[in-house]
Amino acid sequence: MKRAEVDTFEKLVGQLTSLYEELAVLSKKSPNDVINEFKLKIVNSLLAQANQFLGEKYVPFADFEVFDEDDVPRNSDVVLMLSQYLQCFEKYRADNIVPGVGGWHWPVDPEPGEETAKDGKVHIRTVAPKRLREK
Amino acid sequence: MVLIRPRITDYHDILVSQSSVDFAIPLLDEDIPLYVDPFLLWKSPSQQDQALHTSLTNAFNRLSVLVKNGRKDDAIRDLVVASECSEVGLGYSRDRQGLRIGEGKASEILSLFEAIPEYGQNGFRHFEEIQLYIDGISRDRVSDICCSLLKSFLVDFTIDQCEMLGIPVDDAVLSTLYDYQQYSFRADQRVRLPVNPESGEPVIFVPKRWLRFAPWINFDDYFRDYCPRDDVFNPNEPQDRVKVLNYNRQNYGLVREYVDAKEREQEDCKADPLFTQIPVTSAKRKMSEIRKLPTGKTKKADRRYEDLASQLLASLLYPHLDFAEVQSRTDSGTLIRDLIFYNNRSVDFLDEICSEYGNRQLIMELKNVRAIKGEHVNQLNRYLAKGLGGFGVLVTRNQLPRAMRKNTLDLWSGQRKCIVTLTDEDLSLMVNAFESKQRPPIDVLKRSYVQFRRDCPG
Repeated sequence: MKRAEVDTFEKLVGQLTSLYEELAVLSKKSPNDVINEFKLKIVNSLLAQANQFLGEKYVPFADFEVFDEDDVPRNSDVVLMLSQYLQCFEKYRADNIVPGVGGWHWPVDPEPGEETAKDGKVHIRTVAPKRLREK
Repeated sequence: MVLIRPRITDYHDILVSQSSVDFAIPLLDEDIPLYVDPFLLWKSPSQQDQALHTSLTNAFNRLSVLVKNGRKDDAIRDLVVASECSEVGLGYSRDRQGLRIGEGKASEILSLFEAIPEYGQNGFRHFEEIQLYIDGISRDRVSDICCSLLKSFLVDFTIDQCEMLGIPVDDAVLSTLYDYQQYSFRADQRVRLPVNPESGEPVIFVPKRWLRFAPWINFDDYFRDYCPRDDVFNPNEPQDRVKVLNYNRQNYGLVREYVDAKEREQEDCKADPLFTQIPVTSAKRKMSEIRKLPTGKTKKADRRYEDLASQLLASLLYPHLDFAEVQSRTDSGTLIRDLIFYNNRSVDFLDEICSEYGNRQLIMELKNVRAIKGEHVNQLNRYLAKGLGGFGVLVTRNQLPRAMRKNTLDLWSGQRKCIVTLTDEDLSLMVNAFESKQRPPIDVLKRSYVQFRRDCPG
Protein backbone atom coordinates (compact mmCIF):
# COMPACT_ATOMS: atom_id res chain seq x y z
CA MET A 1 0.00 0.00 0.00
CA LYS A 2 1.22 3.49 -0.80
CA ARG A 3 1.18 6.60 1.34
CA ALA A 4 -0.86 8.45 -1.33
CA GLU A 5 -3.62 5.85 -1.00
CA VAL A 6 -3.85 6.48 2.73
CA ASP A 7 -4.04 10.22 2.04
CA THR A 8 -6.83 9.71 -0.48
CA PHE A 9 -8.62 7.37 1.91
CA GLU A 10 -8.52 9.91 4.72
CA LYS A 11 -9.64 12.74 2.47
CA LEU A 12 -12.56 10.78 1.03
CA VAL A 13 -13.71 9.42 4.38
CA GLY A 14 -13.51 12.90 5.91
CA GLN A 15 -15.61 14.38 3.13
CA LEU A 16 -18.13 11.55 3.08
CA THR A 17 -18.50 11.71 6.85
CA SER A 18 -19.14 15.43 6.91
CA LEU A 19 -21.62 15.13 4.04
CA TYR A 20 -23.33 12.25 5.79
CA GLU A 21 -23.61 14.23 9.02
CA GLU A 22 -25.04 17.28 7.24
CA LEU A 23 -27.57 15.30 5.26
CA ALA A 24 -28.51 13.08 8.19
CA VAL A 25 -29.74 16.19 9.98
CA LEU A 26 -31.85 17.15 6.96
CA SER A 27 -33.07 13.61 6.57
CA LYS A 28 -34.16 13.38 10.19
CA LYS A 29 -36.15 16.58 9.77
CA SER A 30 -37.73 15.72 6.44
CA PRO A 31 -36.70 12.38 5.01
CA ASN A 32 -39.00 12.70 1.99
CA ASP A 33 -37.73 16.05 0.82
CA VAL A 34 -35.99 15.93 -2.50
CA ILE A 35 -32.33 16.87 -2.52
CA ASN A 36 -31.34 19.79 -4.69
CA GLU A 37 -29.18 19.52 -7.78
CA PHE A 38 -26.20 21.32 -6.27
CA LYS A 39 -25.94 18.94 -3.31
CA LEU A 40 -26.54 15.99 -5.58
CA LYS A 41 -23.67 16.98 -7.84
CA ILE A 42 -21.34 17.12 -4.84
CA VAL A 43 -22.57 13.76 -3.58
CA ASN A 44 -22.16 12.19 -7.01
CA SER A 45 -18.68 13.58 -7.46
CA LEU A 46 -17.62 12.11 -4.12
CA LEU A 47 -19.28 8.78 -4.84
CA ALA A 48 -17.49 8.56 -8.19
CA GLN A 49 -14.12 9.07 -6.45
CA ALA A 50 -15.13 6.57 -3.76
CA ASN A 51 -16.05 3.95 -6.39
CA GLN A 52 -12.70 4.38 -8.06
CA PHE A 53 -10.87 4.04 -4.76
CA LEU A 54 -12.82 1.08 -3.39
CA GLY A 55 -12.81 -0.95 -6.58
CA GLU A 56 -15.10 -3.88 -7.30
CA LYS A 57 -14.19 -5.67 -4.11
CA TYR A 58 -15.32 -3.01 -1.69
CA VAL A 59 -18.09 -0.97 -3.40
CA PRO A 60 -21.35 -1.46 -1.49
CA PHE A 61 -23.52 -2.48 -4.46
CA ALA A 62 -22.33 -3.72 -7.81
CA ASP A 63 -25.27 -2.13 -9.68
CA PHE A 64 -25.04 1.31 -8.08
CA GLU A 65 -22.55 3.94 -9.16
CA VAL A 66 -24.00 7.40 -8.59
CA PHE A 67 -27.46 8.96 -8.24
CA ASP A 68 -29.32 9.88 -11.40
CA GLU A 69 -30.59 13.46 -11.14
CA ASP A 70 -33.65 12.47 -13.14
CA ASP A 71 -34.66 10.00 -10.43
CA VAL A 72 -35.23 12.90 -8.02
CA PRO A 73 -33.62 11.20 -4.99
CA ARG A 74 -34.75 12.19 -1.50
CA ASN A 75 -32.66 13.07 1.52
CA SER A 76 -33.14 9.65 3.08
CA ASP A 77 -31.99 7.87 -0.10
CA VAL A 78 -28.75 9.79 -0.12
CA VAL A 79 -28.12 9.31 3.60
CA LEU A 80 -28.73 5.59 3.26
CA MET A 81 -26.20 5.29 0.46
CA LEU A 82 -23.58 7.46 2.17
CA SER A 83 -23.78 5.31 5.28
CA GLN A 84 -23.23 2.21 3.12
CA TYR A 85 -20.14 3.76 1.60
CA LEU A 86 -18.79 4.75 5.00
CA GLN A 87 -19.19 1.16 6.18
CA CYS A 88 -17.35 -0.11 3.13
CA PHE A 89 -14.52 2.35 3.69
CA GLU A 90 -14.27 1.10 7.25
CA LYS A 91 -14.15 -2.47 6.00
CA TYR A 92 -11.36 -1.46 3.62
CA ARG A 93 -9.46 0.11 6.50
CA ALA A 94 -9.97 -2.84 8.81
CA ASP A 95 -8.58 -5.14 6.13
CA ASN A 96 -5.52 -3.00 5.55
CA ILE A 97 -4.34 -1.91 8.99
CA VAL A 98 -2.27 -3.87 11.47
CA PRO A 99 -1.89 -3.78 15.25
CA GLY A 100 1.45 -2.52 16.42
CA VAL A 101 3.21 -0.76 19.24
CA GLY A 102 0.88 1.82 20.75
CA GLY A 103 -2.11 1.08 18.52
CA TRP A 104 -3.11 0.35 14.95
CA HIS A 105 -1.16 1.32 11.85
CA TRP A 106 -1.31 1.53 8.07
CA PRO A 107 1.76 -0.30 6.78
CA VAL A 108 2.84 1.66 3.69
CA ASP A 109 5.74 1.34 1.26
CA PRO A 110 8.71 3.44 2.39
CA GLU A 111 9.97 6.32 0.35
CA PRO A 112 13.74 6.63 -0.24
CA GLY A 113 15.61 7.42 2.99
CA GLU A 114 12.63 6.70 5.24
CA GLU A 115 13.11 4.64 8.38
CA THR A 116 11.15 1.39 8.27
CA ALA A 117 9.81 -1.05 10.86
CA LYS A 118 10.85 -4.70 11.11
CA ASP A 119 8.40 -5.69 8.35
CA GLY A 120 10.11 -3.25 5.94
CA LYS A 121 7.10 -0.88 5.93
CA VAL A 122 6.54 2.59 7.26
CA HIS A 123 3.75 2.60 9.85
CA ILE A 124 1.18 5.43 9.94
CA ARG A 125 -0.93 5.48 13.08
CA THR A 126 -4.66 5.14 12.86
CA VAL A 127 -7.52 4.28 15.17
CA ALA A 128 -8.60 0.74 15.89
CA PRO A 129 -11.17 -0.83 13.60
CA LYS A 130 -14.61 0.23 14.71
CA ARG A 131 -15.87 -3.33 14.93
CA LEU A 132 -12.81 -5.12 16.21
CA ARG A 133 -12.98 -8.83 15.66
CA GLU A 134 -10.47 -11.61 16.06
CA LYS A 135 -9.15 -12.54 12.62
CA MET B 1 -52.51 20.20 -34.76
CA VAL B 2 -55.40 20.81 -32.38
CA LEU B 3 -54.96 23.48 -29.73
CA ILE B 4 -57.29 23.89 -26.78
CA ARG B 5 -57.84 27.47 -25.62
CA PRO B 6 -55.12 28.61 -28.01
CA ARG B 7 -52.93 31.63 -27.34
CA ILE B 8 -51.47 33.65 -30.16
CA THR B 9 -47.92 32.56 -29.33
CA ASP B 10 -48.78 28.85 -29.33
CA TYR B 11 -50.59 29.24 -32.63
CA HIS B 12 -47.41 30.57 -34.21
CA ASP B 13 -45.24 27.91 -32.56
CA ILE B 14 -43.57 30.50 -30.36
CA LEU B 15 -43.40 28.65 -27.12
CA VAL B 16 -42.88 31.14 -24.32
CA SER B 17 -44.24 31.05 -20.81
CA GLN B 18 -46.54 33.79 -19.60
CA SER B 19 -44.12 34.56 -16.79
CA SER B 20 -41.27 35.27 -19.22
CA VAL B 21 -42.96 37.96 -21.32
CA ASP B 22 -44.01 41.51 -20.46
CA PHE B 23 -47.51 41.35 -21.89
CA ALA B 24 -50.58 39.26 -21.24
CA ILE B 25 -50.53 36.66 -24.01
CA PRO B 26 -53.86 37.05 -25.84
CA LEU B 27 -56.16 34.07 -26.27
CA LEU B 28 -57.53 33.59 -29.76
CA ASP B 29 -61.12 32.74 -28.95
CA GLU B 30 -61.84 34.49 -25.67
CA ASP B 31 -60.79 37.44 -23.54
CA ILE B 32 -58.28 37.56 -20.69
CA PRO B 33 -60.23 38.15 -17.46
CA LEU B 34 -58.22 41.20 -16.37
CA TYR B 35 -58.55 44.91 -16.98
CA VAL B 36 -56.25 47.88 -17.49
CA ASP B 37 -56.28 50.04 -14.39
CA PRO B 38 -55.25 53.62 -15.20
CA PHE B 39 -54.26 54.09 -11.56
CA LEU B 40 -51.36 51.68 -12.11
CA LEU B 41 -50.02 54.04 -14.77
CA TRP B 42 -50.43 57.02 -12.44
CA LYS B 43 -48.60 55.36 -9.55
CA SER B 44 -45.91 53.75 -11.70
CA PRO B 45 -42.35 54.91 -11.00
CA SER B 46 -41.76 54.88 -14.76
CA GLN B 47 -41.84 58.30 -16.37
CA GLN B 48 -43.24 56.69 -19.50
CA ASP B 49 -46.26 55.29 -17.67
CA GLN B 50 -46.82 58.55 -15.83
CA ALA B 51 -46.65 60.47 -19.11
CA LEU B 52 -49.10 58.04 -20.66
CA HIS B 53 -51.47 58.63 -17.75
CA THR B 54 -51.16 62.37 -18.32
CA SER B 55 -51.96 61.94 -22.03
CA LEU B 56 -54.88 59.72 -21.13
CA THR B 57 -56.39 62.21 -18.69
CA ASN B 58 -55.73 65.09 -21.08
CA ALA B 59 -57.47 63.22 -23.88
CA PHE B 60 -60.45 62.51 -21.64
CA ASN B 61 -60.61 66.07 -20.30
CA ARG B 62 -60.40 67.37 -23.84
CA LEU B 63 -63.98 66.14 -24.24
CA SER B 64 -65.02 68.91 -21.86
CA VAL B 65 -63.45 71.51 -24.17
CA LEU B 66 -65.48 70.11 -27.05
CA VAL B 67 -68.64 70.42 -24.95
CA LYS B 68 -67.77 73.99 -23.95
CA ASN B 69 -67.11 74.90 -27.60
CA GLY B 70 -70.55 73.71 -28.58
CA ARG B 71 -69.30 70.50 -30.17
CA LYS B 72 -71.09 68.14 -27.83
CA ASP B 73 -72.00 65.81 -30.70
CA ASP B 74 -68.31 65.34 -31.52
CA ALA B 75 -67.56 64.71 -27.85
CA ILE B 76 -70.33 62.11 -27.67
CA ARG B 77 -69.11 60.42 -30.83
CA ASP B 78 -65.52 60.25 -29.52
CA LEU B 79 -66.61 58.86 -26.18
CA VAL B 80 -68.77 56.21 -27.84
CA VAL B 81 -65.84 55.21 -30.06
CA ALA B 82 -63.48 55.11 -27.05
CA SER B 83 -65.83 52.91 -25.03
CA GLU B 84 -64.85 49.64 -26.70
CA CYS B 85 -61.42 48.36 -27.65
CA SER B 86 -61.86 44.80 -28.86
CA GLU B 87 -58.29 44.48 -30.18
CA VAL B 88 -56.83 44.11 -26.67
CA GLY B 89 -59.10 41.21 -25.72
CA LEU B 90 -59.54 41.98 -22.02
CA GLY B 91 -62.63 41.15 -20.00
CA TYR B 92 -65.02 38.25 -19.81
CA SER B 93 -66.28 38.02 -23.36
CA ARG B 94 -66.22 34.49 -24.80
CA ASP B 95 -65.88 35.76 -28.35
CA ARG B 96 -63.60 38.80 -28.00
CA GLN B 97 -66.45 41.08 -29.10
CA GLY B 98 -67.90 43.79 -26.87
CA LEU B 99 -70.43 46.54 -27.35
CA ARG B 100 -69.94 50.28 -27.27
CA ILE B 101 -71.92 52.49 -24.92
CA GLY B 102 -74.93 54.31 -26.33
CA GLU B 103 -75.04 58.03 -27.07
CA GLY B 104 -77.31 58.55 -24.07
CA LYS B 105 -74.75 57.06 -21.70
CA ALA B 106 -71.97 59.11 -23.33
CA SER B 107 -74.03 62.25 -22.90
CA GLU B 108 -74.59 61.36 -19.25
CA ILE B 109 -70.83 61.01 -18.72
CA LEU B 110 -70.17 64.35 -20.42
CA SER B 111 -72.80 66.01 -18.27
CA LEU B 112 -70.41 65.54 -15.32
CA PHE B 113 -68.26 68.36 -16.70
CA GLU B 114 -71.28 70.66 -16.37
CA ALA B 115 -72.90 69.23 -13.26
CA ILE B 116 -69.76 69.22 -11.11
CA PRO B 117 -67.93 72.55 -11.41
CA GLU B 118 -64.58 71.12 -10.26
CA TYR B 119 -64.49 68.78 -13.23
CA GLY B 120 -65.64 71.55 -15.56
CA GLN B 121 -62.85 73.85 -14.43
CA ASN B 122 -59.94 71.49 -13.67
CA GLY B 123 -60.91 68.27 -15.38
CA PHE B 124 -60.48 64.77 -13.95
CA ARG B 125 -57.25 63.70 -12.27
CA HIS B 126 -58.38 60.07 -12.47
CA PHE B 127 -61.02 59.69 -15.13
CA GLU B 128 -62.11 56.34 -13.61
CA GLU B 129 -63.95 58.47 -11.02
CA ILE B 130 -66.85 58.43 -13.54
CA GLN B 131 -67.72 54.99 -12.07
CA LEU B 132 -68.78 56.82 -8.92
CA TYR B 133 -71.36 58.94 -10.79
CA ILE B 134 -72.66 56.95 -13.73
CA ASP B 135 -74.61 53.73 -13.54
CA GLY B 136 -73.38 50.99 -15.88
CA ILE B 137 -69.81 52.22 -16.03
CA SER B 138 -67.37 49.85 -14.42
CA ARG B 139 -63.99 48.18 -14.86
CA ASP B 140 -64.55 47.01 -18.43
CA ARG B 141 -65.48 50.48 -19.69
CA VAL B 142 -62.66 52.15 -17.78
CA SER B 143 -60.23 49.63 -19.24
CA ASP B 144 -61.57 50.00 -22.78
CA ILE B 145 -61.54 53.81 -22.67
CA CYS B 146 -57.98 53.65 -21.38
CA CYS B 147 -56.86 51.26 -24.14
CA SER B 148 -58.65 53.23 -26.86
CA LEU B 149 -56.99 56.49 -25.88
CA LEU B 150 -53.57 54.84 -25.54
CA LYS B 151 -53.96 52.62 -28.58
CA SER B 152 -51.17 54.32 -30.49
CA PHE B 153 -48.68 53.47 -27.76
CA LEU B 154 -50.05 49.94 -27.46
CA VAL B 155 -49.59 49.41 -31.20
CA ASP B 156 -45.90 50.35 -30.90
CA PHE B 157 -45.55 48.14 -27.82
CA THR B 158 -47.13 45.24 -29.70
CA ILE B 159 -44.85 45.66 -32.71
CA ASP B 160 -41.79 45.75 -30.40
CA GLN B 161 -42.84 42.57 -28.63
CA CYS B 162 -43.60 40.84 -31.93
CA GLU B 163 -40.16 41.71 -33.28
CA MET B 164 -38.55 40.49 -30.07
CA LEU B 165 -40.34 37.13 -30.05
CA GLY B 166 -40.73 36.65 -33.78
CA ILE B 167 -44.53 36.74 -33.78
CA PRO B 168 -45.66 37.29 -37.39
CA VAL B 169 -47.39 40.58 -38.18
CA ASP B 170 -49.62 41.36 -41.10
CA ASP B 171 -51.28 44.32 -42.75
CA ALA B 172 -54.28 45.17 -40.64
CA VAL B 173 -56.81 47.93 -40.46
CA LEU B 174 -57.63 49.50 -37.11
CA SER B 175 -61.16 50.84 -37.30
CA THR B 176 -60.21 53.68 -34.94
CA LEU B 177 -56.94 55.10 -33.65
CA TYR B 178 -56.69 58.05 -31.28
CA ASP B 179 -54.59 60.92 -32.62
CA TYR B 180 -53.13 62.83 -29.69
CA GLN B 181 -52.14 65.79 -31.91
CA GLN B 182 -55.67 66.33 -33.16
CA TYR B 183 -57.41 65.07 -29.99
CA SER B 184 -59.68 62.95 -32.13
CA PHE B 185 -60.06 59.48 -33.54
CA ARG B 186 -58.87 58.62 -37.02
CA ALA B 187 -60.76 55.96 -38.87
CA ASP B 188 -59.39 52.93 -40.73
CA GLN B 189 -55.70 53.21 -40.00
CA ARG B 190 -53.39 50.70 -41.70
CA VAL B 191 -50.80 49.19 -39.38
CA ARG B 192 -48.68 46.04 -39.20
CA LEU B 193 -49.99 43.99 -36.32
CA PRO B 194 -50.44 40.36 -35.40
CA VAL B 195 -53.76 39.08 -36.62
CA ASN B 196 -56.17 36.65 -34.99
CA PRO B 197 -56.04 33.71 -37.43
CA GLU B 198 -59.62 32.73 -36.64
CA SER B 199 -61.32 36.11 -36.98
CA GLY B 200 -58.77 37.99 -39.10
CA GLU B 201 -58.99 40.91 -36.63
CA PRO B 202 -55.84 42.73 -35.46
CA VAL B 203 -54.56 41.91 -31.97
CA ILE B 204 -52.96 44.40 -29.59
CA PHE B 205 -50.86 43.39 -26.57
CA VAL B 206 -51.17 45.06 -23.17
CA PRO B 207 -48.33 45.28 -20.61
CA LYS B 208 -48.91 42.92 -17.67
CA ARG B 209 -47.94 45.65 -15.25
CA TRP B 210 -51.12 47.59 -16.06
CA LEU B 211 -53.58 44.80 -15.34
CA ARG B 212 -55.87 44.28 -12.36
CA PHE B 213 -59.10 42.40 -11.71
CA ALA B 214 -60.73 45.62 -10.60
CA PRO B 215 -59.59 49.24 -10.78
CA TRP B 216 -58.00 50.65 -7.62
CA ILE B 217 -60.70 53.34 -7.63
CA ASN B 218 -64.02 51.55 -8.02
CA PHE B 219 -67.61 51.84 -6.92
CA ASP B 220 -67.78 48.66 -4.80
CA ASP B 221 -64.75 49.71 -2.78
CA TYR B 222 -66.17 53.21 -2.33
CA PHE B 223 -69.58 51.87 -1.33
CA ARG B 224 -68.13 49.35 1.14
CA ASP B 225 -65.63 51.55 2.94
CA TYR B 226 -66.28 55.24 2.28
CA CYS B 227 -69.90 55.87 1.36
CA PRO B 228 -71.83 57.54 4.23
CA ARG B 229 -74.78 55.18 3.93
CA ASP B 230 -76.63 56.74 6.86
CA ASP B 231 -76.79 60.01 4.94
CA VAL B 232 -77.68 58.44 1.61
CA PHE B 233 -80.42 56.03 2.69
CA ASN B 234 -83.30 56.32 5.06
CA PRO B 235 -83.55 53.59 7.71
CA ASN B 236 -84.71 50.27 6.19
CA GLU B 237 -84.57 51.72 2.69
CA PRO B 238 -83.20 49.35 0.02
CA GLN B 239 -79.61 50.26 -0.83
CA ASP B 240 -80.02 51.40 -4.39
CA ARG B 241 -76.81 52.00 -6.31
CA VAL B 242 -78.29 54.83 -8.40
CA LYS B 243 -79.15 56.75 -5.26
CA VAL B 244 -75.51 56.63 -4.20
CA LEU B 245 -74.40 57.81 -7.64
CA ASN B 246 -76.80 60.75 -7.49
CA TYR B 247 -75.72 61.53 -3.94
CA ASN B 248 -72.08 61.63 -5.13
CA ARG B 249 -72.97 64.22 -7.76
CA GLN B 250 -74.21 66.49 -5.01
CA ASN B 251 -71.25 65.73 -2.75
CA TYR B 252 -68.09 66.06 -4.80
CA GLY B 253 -66.07 66.57 -1.61
CA LEU B 254 -66.77 63.00 -0.53
CA VAL B 255 -65.51 61.60 -3.81
CA ARG B 256 -62.47 63.87 -3.58
CA GLU B 257 -61.71 62.52 -0.10
CA TYR B 258 -62.10 58.94 -1.32
CA VAL B 259 -59.74 59.52 -4.24
CA ASP B 260 -57.24 61.29 -1.98
CA ALA B 261 -57.34 58.32 0.40
CA LYS B 262 -56.76 55.90 -2.47
CA GLU B 263 -53.82 57.99 -3.62
CA ARG B 264 -52.37 57.86 -0.12
CA GLU B 265 -52.74 54.07 -0.12
CA GLN B 266 -51.12 53.74 -3.54
CA GLU B 267 -48.36 51.48 -2.18
CA ASP B 268 -50.95 48.72 -1.78
CA CYS B 269 -52.07 48.99 -5.38
CA LYS B 270 -50.34 46.22 -7.30
CA ALA B 271 -50.90 44.64 -10.69
CA ASP B 272 -52.72 41.32 -10.45
CA PRO B 273 -50.86 38.33 -11.82
CA LEU B 274 -52.46 36.29 -14.58
CA PHE B 275 -51.98 33.17 -12.50
CA THR B 276 -51.40 32.83 -8.78
CA GLN B 277 -49.97 29.70 -7.25
CA ILE B 278 -51.73 28.31 -4.22
CA PRO B 279 -49.72 28.69 -0.99
CA VAL B 280 -47.67 25.78 0.33
CA THR B 281 -50.01 25.18 3.28
CA SER B 282 -52.96 24.93 0.93
CA ALA B 283 -51.04 22.53 -1.33
CA LYS B 284 -50.23 20.31 1.66
CA ARG B 285 -53.84 20.39 2.80
CA LYS B 286 -55.07 19.38 -0.63
CA MET B 287 -52.54 16.57 -0.81
CA SER B 288 -53.58 15.27 2.55
CA GLU B 289 -57.24 15.33 1.45
CA ILE B 290 -56.37 13.42 -1.72
CA ARG B 291 -54.62 10.78 0.39
CA LYS B 292 -57.77 10.27 2.43
CA LEU B 293 -60.14 10.08 -0.53
CA PRO B 294 -61.46 6.65 -1.47
CA THR B 295 -61.08 5.51 -5.06
CA GLY B 296 -64.13 5.26 -7.27
CA LYS B 297 -67.27 7.35 -7.13
CA THR B 298 -68.26 6.87 -3.49
CA LYS B 299 -69.64 10.15 -2.13
CA LYS B 300 -68.51 11.88 -5.33
CA ALA B 301 -64.89 11.15 -4.46
CA ASP B 302 -64.01 11.14 -8.17
CA ARG B 303 -65.21 14.69 -8.61
CA ARG B 304 -63.39 15.85 -5.47
CA TYR B 305 -60.21 14.10 -6.58
CA GLU B 306 -60.39 15.82 -9.96
CA ASP B 307 -60.92 19.24 -8.35
CA LEU B 308 -58.06 18.82 -5.89
CA ALA B 309 -55.63 17.32 -8.39
CA SER B 310 -56.30 20.04 -10.94
CA GLN B 311 -55.80 22.84 -8.42
CA LEU B 312 -52.62 21.21 -7.19
CA LEU B 313 -51.08 20.47 -10.56
CA ALA B 314 -51.84 23.91 -12.00
CA SER B 315 -49.82 25.45 -9.16
CA LEU B 316 -47.11 22.82 -8.84
CA LEU B 317 -46.17 22.92 -12.50
CA TYR B 318 -46.16 26.71 -12.76
CA PRO B 319 -44.18 28.50 -14.24
CA HIS B 320 -42.76 25.65 -16.32
CA LEU B 321 -46.18 24.80 -17.68
CA ASP B 322 -48.88 27.46 -18.05
CA PHE B 323 -52.26 26.07 -17.14
CA ALA B 324 -54.78 26.36 -19.97
CA GLU B 325 -58.00 24.85 -18.62
CA VAL B 326 -59.87 21.92 -17.15
CA GLN B 327 -61.74 20.26 -19.95
CA SER B 328 -64.63 17.85 -19.66
CA ARG B 329 -65.37 15.44 -22.48
CA THR B 330 -67.28 12.22 -22.98
CA ASP B 331 -65.76 9.07 -24.40
CA SER B 332 -67.89 5.93 -24.81
CA GLY B 333 -70.44 7.32 -22.38
CA THR B 334 -67.83 8.11 -19.73
CA LEU B 335 -67.29 11.65 -18.52
CA ILE B 336 -63.59 12.40 -18.55
CA ARG B 337 -61.84 15.41 -17.12
CA ASP B 338 -58.51 16.54 -18.49
CA LEU B 339 -56.07 19.22 -17.52
CA ILE B 340 -54.58 21.06 -20.43
CA PHE B 341 -51.26 22.88 -20.14
CA TYR B 342 -49.43 25.00 -22.67
CA ASN B 343 -46.05 23.48 -23.42
CA ASN B 344 -43.57 26.36 -23.17
CA ARG B 345 -40.51 24.13 -23.74
CA SER B 346 -39.00 25.86 -20.75
CA VAL B 347 -37.04 22.77 -19.65
CA ASP B 348 -35.17 20.16 -21.68
CA PHE B 349 -37.73 17.48 -21.01
CA LEU B 350 -40.61 19.64 -22.29
CA ASP B 351 -38.56 20.50 -25.33
CA GLU B 352 -38.17 16.77 -26.03
CA ILE B 353 -41.91 16.21 -25.57
CA CYS B 354 -42.55 18.90 -28.16
CA SER B 355 -39.94 17.81 -30.69
CA GLU B 356 -40.38 14.03 -30.37
CA TYR B 357 -44.10 13.76 -29.76
CA GLY B 358 -45.35 17.00 -31.28
CA ASN B 359 -47.00 18.18 -28.04
CA ARG B 360 -47.60 21.91 -28.08
CA GLN B 361 -49.97 21.28 -25.20
CA LEU B 362 -49.85 18.68 -22.47
CA ILE B 363 -52.88 16.57 -21.66
CA MET B 364 -53.33 15.09 -18.19
CA GLU B 365 -56.28 12.79 -17.70
CA LEU B 366 -57.56 12.45 -14.14
CA LYS B 367 -58.61 8.99 -12.97
CA ASN B 368 -59.70 8.31 -9.41
CA VAL B 369 -59.55 4.54 -9.77
CA ARG B 370 -57.76 1.89 -7.73
CA ALA B 371 -56.19 0.34 -10.79
CA ILE B 372 -55.93 1.67 -14.32
CA LYS B 373 -57.53 -0.62 -16.88
CA GLY B 374 -57.02 -1.06 -20.59
CA GLU B 375 -60.02 1.10 -21.42
CA HIS B 376 -58.52 4.06 -19.53
CA VAL B 377 -55.29 3.86 -21.48
CA ASN B 378 -57.24 3.48 -24.72
CA GLN B 379 -59.42 6.51 -23.92
CA LEU B 380 -56.36 8.71 -23.53
CA ASN B 381 -54.71 7.18 -26.57
CA ARG B 382 -57.80 7.84 -28.69
CA TYR B 383 -57.88 11.43 -27.50
CA LEU B 384 -54.20 11.96 -28.27
CA ALA B 385 -54.87 10.61 -31.76
CA LYS B 386 -57.06 13.64 -32.45
CA GLY B 387 -53.95 15.72 -33.04
CA LEU B 388 -52.90 16.64 -29.51
CA GLY B 389 -49.47 15.02 -29.78
CA GLY B 390 -48.08 11.68 -28.76
CA PHE B 391 -47.48 12.32 -25.06
CA GLY B 392 -50.12 12.10 -22.35
CA VAL B 393 -50.24 11.76 -18.58
CA LEU B 394 -52.61 9.63 -16.53
CA VAL B 395 -53.02 11.17 -13.10
CA THR B 396 -54.22 8.34 -10.92
CA ARG B 397 -53.99 6.92 -7.45
CA ASN B 398 -51.62 3.96 -7.75
CA GLN B 399 -48.87 2.61 -9.95
CA LEU B 400 -49.98 0.95 -13.16
CA PRO B 401 -50.56 -2.78 -12.85
CA ARG B 402 -47.90 -4.81 -14.66
CA ALA B 403 -50.21 -5.63 -17.58
CA MET B 404 -51.10 -1.96 -18.07
CA ARG B 405 -47.46 -0.95 -17.87
CA LYS B 406 -46.80 -3.41 -20.66
CA ASN B 407 -49.79 -1.99 -22.53
CA THR B 408 -48.30 1.52 -22.45
CA LEU B 409 -44.88 0.20 -23.49
CA ASP B 410 -46.52 -1.61 -26.41
CA LEU B 411 -48.17 1.67 -27.41
CA TRP B 412 -44.76 3.25 -27.51
CA SER B 413 -43.31 0.37 -29.53
CA GLY B 414 -46.18 0.30 -32.00
CA GLN B 415 -47.29 3.91 -32.31
CA ARG B 416 -44.57 5.93 -30.55
CA LYS B 417 -47.18 7.15 -28.06
CA CYS B 418 -45.92 7.86 -24.59
CA ILE B 419 -48.40 7.58 -21.72
CA VAL B 420 -46.86 8.10 -18.29
CA THR B 421 -48.50 8.20 -14.87
CA LEU B 422 -48.47 10.49 -11.88
CA THR B 423 -49.59 8.69 -8.75
CA ASP B 424 -50.40 9.86 -5.23
CA GLU B 425 -46.77 9.17 -4.37
CA ASP B 426 -45.59 11.40 -7.20
CA LEU B 427 -48.02 14.17 -6.26
CA SER B 428 -46.81 13.96 -2.69
CA LEU B 429 -43.20 14.23 -3.83
CA MET B 430 -44.16 17.22 -5.96
CA VAL B 431 -45.75 18.90 -2.96
CA ASN B 432 -42.58 18.21 -0.94
CA ALA B 433 -40.47 19.77 -3.67
CA PHE B 434 -42.89 22.70 -3.84
CA GLU B 435 -42.50 23.24 -0.12
CA SER B 436 -38.76 22.74 0.22
CA LYS B 437 -37.93 24.55 -3.06
CA GLN B 438 -35.02 22.16 -3.48
CA ARG B 439 -36.11 20.97 -6.92
CA PRO B 440 -38.86 22.17 -9.28
CA PRO B 441 -41.89 19.87 -8.98
CA ILE B 442 -41.89 19.33 -12.74
CA ASP B 443 -38.79 17.15 -12.21
CA VAL B 444 -41.13 14.52 -10.78
CA LEU B 445 -43.04 14.43 -14.07
CA LYS B 446 -39.72 14.22 -15.87
CA ARG B 447 -38.78 11.31 -13.61
CA SER B 448 -41.90 9.41 -14.68
CA TYR B 449 -41.01 10.04 -18.30
CA VAL B 450 -37.36 9.00 -17.85
CA GLN B 451 -38.39 5.82 -16.05
CA PHE B 452 -40.86 5.06 -18.82
CA ARG B 453 -38.21 5.54 -21.50
CA ARG B 454 -35.78 3.31 -19.60
CA ASP B 455 -38.33 0.53 -19.75
CA CYS B 456 -38.98 1.02 -23.45
CA PRO B 457 -37.49 -1.67 -25.67
CA GLY B 458 -34.32 -0.83 -27.57
